[in-house]
Amino acid sequence: MQYNGGSIVAMVGKNCVAIASDLRLGNQALTIATDFEKVFPITDRIYLGMAGLATDVLTLRERFRFRVNMYSIKEEREIEPKTLAQLVSSTLYERRFGPYFIEPIIAGLTDSSKGSQPFIASADLIGCLNFAKDFVVVGTAEDKLLGVAEGLWEPDLEPEDLFETISQTLLNAVDRDAFSGWGAVVHVITPDKVITRTLKGRMD
Amino acid sequence: MDSSNIYKKSGFDFSNQIRNNFLAAKGVPVPKATSTGTTIVGCLFKDGIVLGADTRATAGEIIADKNCEKVVNPSCCGAGTAADTEFTTALISSNLELHSLSTGRKPRVVTAMTMLKQMLFQYQGHIGAALVLGGVDVTGPHLFTIHPHGSTDKLPYVTMGSGSLAAMAVFEAGWKAGMERQEAIDLVSAAISAGIFNDLGSGSNVDVCVITKERTDMLRNYIKPNERVTKERHYKFTRGTTAYQSENIRKYIVDESITYLTGSATTATTAEEAMDVS
Amino acid sequence: MNTVDMQQLKAGEVNLGTSIMAVQFDKGVVIGADSRTTTGSYIANRVTDKLTHVHDRVYCCRSGSAADTQAVADIVHYYLQMYSQQYGAPPSVHTAATLFEKLCYENKDQLLAGIIVAGWDREVGPSVYNIPVGGGLFRQPWAIGGSGSTYVYGYCDATYQEGWGKDETVNFVKNTLALAMSRDGSSGGVIRLAVITEDGVERLFIPGNELPRFWEGKEVLGQDMNKTFTHLAQMEIEA
Repeated sequence: MQYNGGSIVAMVGKNCVAIASDLRLGNQALTIATDFEKVFPITDRIYLGMAGLATDVLTLRERFRFRVNMYSIKEEREIEPKTLAQLVSSTLYERRFGPYFIEPIIAGLTDSSKGSQPFIASADLIGCLNFAKDFVVVGTAEDKLLGVAEGLWEPDLEPEDLFETISQTLLNAVDRDAFSGWGAVVHVITPDKVITRTLKGRMD
Repeated sequence: MDSSNIYKKSGFDFSNQIRNNFLAAKGVPVPKATSTGTTIVGCLFKDGIVLGADTRATAGEIIADKNCEKVVNPSCCGAGTAADTEFTTALISSNLELHSLSTGRKPRVVTAMTMLKQMLFQYQGHIGAALVLGGVDVTGPHLFTIHPHGSTDKLPYVTMGSGSLAAMAVFEAGWKAGMERQEAIDLVSAAISAGIFNDLGSGSNVDVCVITKERTDMLRNYIKPNERVTKERHYKFTRGTTAYQSENIRKYIVDESITYLTGSATTATTAEEAMDVS
Repeated sequence: MNTVDMQQLKAGEVNLGTSIMAVQFDKGVVIGADSRTTTGSYIANRVTDKLTHVHDRVYCCRSGSAADTQAVADIVHYYLQMYSQQYGAPPSVHTAATLFEKLCYENKDQLLAGIIVAGWDREVGPSVYNIPVGGGLFRQPWAIGGSGSTYVYGYCDATYQEGWGKDETVNFVKNTLALAMSRDGSSGGVIRLAVITEDGVERLFIPGNELPRFWEGKEVLGQDMNKTFTHLAQMEIEA
């Protein structure tokens, strides 16, 4: 986790979810890049974030892309967030005794036929799922994020308010973590659009 | 190589081990897996079994989940490495279903227990699942504990996890043979509460599951002794607090507007008609 | 050289720090055990049954790792069921003991299991076999095992006599186990006994508050103090 650094947070709002990550890629204490995105779109309304060893983040992004594509071809429908969560979980548990060093977060909305319900989940490196109703955090600033989010989050935030809450949570937690920071990116997912914003943050 | 391949072997994949050992040798700290520091209990009563669990999940010293479900399966509570308890019980309950389909008999608690202990023994304790297994079958009610190395015990009241000492103290003081349903539920919640309040690894709410011959009742969050009070004031930020460098909006609703190149709609039609004439 | 201590339990493993015993008499065998199962210093089960059925007239007493001995006993139980189905006759105690020994010896690097096999068969009548940790098969008129046994070898050597009947043998087992349990911290609880004869298996149970009691020391301080001291003073004068 500390080898490359990075943190991710996801929060539930009113008919929307938000997922945000920092942009740092490091080699221990040395910052290598400040544009390393850790959150990837899986479908139009589901985003998957992975914090941890960068090589595994990239490997798994491709593996999940492949497996989700196979799913959509076989099932002839888009994957649901909770199905994706199970897919992620079993992919990680398969490597129980030689794990990928990543912790994933899934944020998305359920199918519109199921009312576009907000969904978030996180897992540990061997795929133990955590379905939270409020927020989930992973990465090197996990403990700081948990504290800030616990204070700032409140239920039923509108997309624009959720953007402010998640951004401030991430920015302030990451400023106290040496391994995360150097800018941040936020995705707010609503039933009819996804707003992606690159935040201004401390570059030290 | 990847999934959905009939030639791929099932089971665990060890291919990352060499790399991980290399990283560990380099001094990269290995991330901690979620464990359920847990109090889980089970107790026998007149008509069946009552299982109980707390709802705290921990990763090191941080609380990973404040309200997780440790009654992983309507007949089984798990302690230890959270992912292991989850996947082990899922696998066994799946195999048990297949077993009952192929034998044409209802599954028995001992069968589940034997399958679990044989799997855990095979993995020599590396699968860190500590379980309390209880249920009622044709042979009556049964209650077992299964340790990660594959040893089992059959007892009228059992506790496991880091809070097991606190919970066992309650059982040793209060358990009687042939209790009524409500008596048993109360005793189990008292045992879990003892774990929640006296053990650091356990906390939050009490989950209870009552299994009788006829039915299984899952009483999720039966007692909530640690409810968080609602915030009296808000920390809502005024919109525009966070400065951002760029914005990109993926819109899924396409709104179309038609712009006519030559004057109004009526003139366009007439022009077309005129063209036709000529 | 880096070696793994074979006699060591794996971290957190459930232990049967035990006192077990089996004694042969003219008509059968008496087997007995304490009932304590521990994980470190915690008693995980205080009413354990360490006398495990492997066939109608063959039982084993388990000591060592709970997981290992249960697994071995389960396998032998399975083999003996197959045996009696195939041959249409119950297996001899020796057959059962040989199976135990084979499993314990061939997997000695991975197991911590000290087992006593005892029972009755048509061929030789009652018999007791001892299989120590690491394998080996020894037929003995009486056998003791587990961590508690070290305290009572002397008692057994001094007490045992050939030609006992059932009641004398039961008493011998009961007393030996009570003595072992009182000295060994990882043994305790209740005594479970079983008498295996041609006619069947009779199970006996001695609760913790009804164990045979022996000299448990006397109060040195308090009322007797004066007596003790005057007695000592007397001795001094005499000297």
